Amino acid sequence: MRALRAGRLLFAKDLRVLGRSQGLLAVLIGYPIVIAILLAIALSGGDRRPAIAFVNLDAGARTVQVGDDRLSVDDYASRLEDDVDLVRLTPQQAQDALADGRVSAVLTVPEGFITDLQSGLKPPVLQLATNPRSPIEAQAIERNLESAVFRLNQALATAYVKQVLNLVDLIQKGGTIGIFGRSGTLLGLQESDRNLRQVQRALIADGKPALAKKVAALRDYVTGVGGNLELAKPAAQAIASPIRLEVREGPPGREPLSALGIAGALVVGIGLVGVLLAAALLSAEREDHVLSRLGRGLTGAGTIIAQKALLAAIACTVVGYVLLGVVALSTSITIGRWLLWLPALLLAGLASGAFGLLVGALARETRTALLAGLMIALPLAVIALIPGNDIAYWASAVAGFGPAARVFQGLLVDPDITSSTYIGMGILAVVALVYGVAARVALGRRMHA
Amino acid sequence: MRTGSPLLGARGITRRYGTVEALAPLDLSIARGERIALTGPNGAGKTTLLTMLAGVQAPSDGVLEWAGGAAAPVGWVPQRPALYPRLTTRENLRLFAGLEGSSDPGATADALIRRADLGEFADRRAGALSTGTLQRLNLAIALAGSPSLLLLDEPTGTLSPDQRVRLWGWLDDLVRTDDMALVFSTQSTDEAARNADRVLVLAHGRLLHDGPAEALDEAGFMALLGDAA
Repeated sequence: MRALRAGRLLFAKDLRVLGRSQGLLAVLIGYPIVIAILLAIALSGGDRRPAIAFVNLDAGARTVQVGDDRLSVDDYASRLEDDVDLVRLTPQQAQDALADGRVSAVLTVPEGFITDLQSGLKPPVLQLATNPRSPIEAQAIERNLESAVFRLNQALATAYVKQVLNLVDLIQKGGTIGIFGRSGTLLGLQESDRNLRQVQRALIADGKPALAKKVAALRDYVTGVGGNLELAKPAAQAIASPIRLEVREGPPGREPLSALGIAGALVVGIGLVGVLLAAALLSAEREDHVLSRLGRGLTGAGTIIAQKALLAAIACTVVGYVLLGVVALSTSITIGRWLLWLPALLLAGLASGAFGLLVGALARETRTALLAGLMIALPLAVIALIPGNDIAYWASAVAGFGPAARVFQGLLVDPDITSSTYIGMGILAVVALVYGVAARVALGRRMHA
Repeated sequence: MRTGSPLLGARGITRRYGTVEALAPLDLSIARGERIALTGPNGAGKTTLLTMLAGVQAPSDGVLEWAGGAAAPVGWVPQRPALYPRLTTRENLRLFAGLEGSSDPGATADALIRRADLGEFADRRAGALSTGTLQRLNLAIALAGSPSLLLLDEPTGTLSPDQRVRLWGWLDDLVRTDDMALVFSTQSTDEAARNADRVLVLAHGRLLHDGPAEALDEAGFMALLGDAA
């Protein structure tokens, strides 16, 4: 109970001291956040929208007449670019880019697309291949493309309806036809009726009432068709979407750069905040000469370490959520699993905080602790971002950064949370425990020296 | 000499750092109301002895025996002010009162502010206080646990002569009113003679003299050091 009370009092004291040290706070929290954001921008190539490879396999019929417009595949693609960034590539280049994570998906226009669009006999199909390592981003891309295709469908449907109404007019009034690839001249129902009336009168004048009666029936049919066509006009307005989107999952590849950028920003941001904050808080106790006073039975080294590790972990969690929120609000990248991020961020914060506490316990003054923390943490955090390299992973695992990077990437891109994510969290807990114990021993010696 | 009932006895306490003996086996008894000065040159073992009495570090050998069995509250005043410069006087006192287990840290802090005459500086940050006021706060913090034994490591080392006089006047009052024992270290034989009932002379980790303050003058002190060398 006494240890808890002491921990609570020192926790509140640290918060108060931090609140009154704006300069220190700016260095300890502002600087890592700025570095993290810059790193995220650098690793993500500054993309605000997903990059999608665009492959055109319909090299034949280049254009189709829709209403008053001629539409080509390129026109179609440029309309989609309102929602996504299309990178025109060959099929092989597109597959490589998807595997390397340079693009988030491949949109393919298959052979015969324009022909299908032109004929109107069957709906043309676009093919979308997404990266299964990035299901959350894939969902966002699907939504973007579905939305784009829907708007394009509406535009096309309007043009088609206009054409159908023109055709109805042609059938009723007659004229030159040019629709769906067909051309010719139509007599029209009205002119047909006029002609039939003349034939009917001629037959009556020639004393052929029986034949004239048959022509009268034919006139009734023509008039009826004209009336029904008038009724068909509103029905034509309800033409359904002529294009549908077919989604396929591509072969597994690397994480997209955007995911790597976010994970990198989190590792650097949380790593630096945890290490620098914890190191500064603990070394400040020594600089203020209070360790001997505290160690005289007021509180133990374990309580001080636990209290400061918790404070660093909470600060890291807040910074982590702020970074994720900034990504979610300012980019097209979708961030999910908000609740699962909590243990991941807390454990990463605990691990980097415990590492910082060891640095703070060993350093003689705050400036030395900050410099040493920065010099050790920054390169390790950057090394942690090298993908697929075991040496880099274990080197950066020294401060918990490697496992943190894997856990974050897992939460960002894995379709399901796998055991490797939980193993990563376990490693973070072990790192936190090892450094926490080491820091406690080092602090205990300082307090009782 | 003012002495009361026994408070603490040290039997053969020693402190070693590796192979270096910082304090040779030493016996010492402290009574309530007693004022004891530890004097000697740098590296004599004064601070080592004080930190062991304070419980900051444990003796390598020997035992500390408290009268009545249970350890009495101890107030520890390190040489350099041990407090948080970004907290105010009141916040520092409230924090340490809380750490000492006070049931009402706010009230304890207010009482200490009155007692140390720190009212004018109660809401000023400790880092902005003058040296003399800061040392008063350093001392007031040590009183937060209502100690029976107050240990001070060269308490007047950074103070001006007038600040020293005021501080000793206040400490005298504390010893009288609270019936606490006072053990302080100093490099000044004058200060030891003026403010202590008993003087212990240490050199090279050994106790050279333990006797009434009036029995030791500057010449006697120098003679002791000469013999030790």
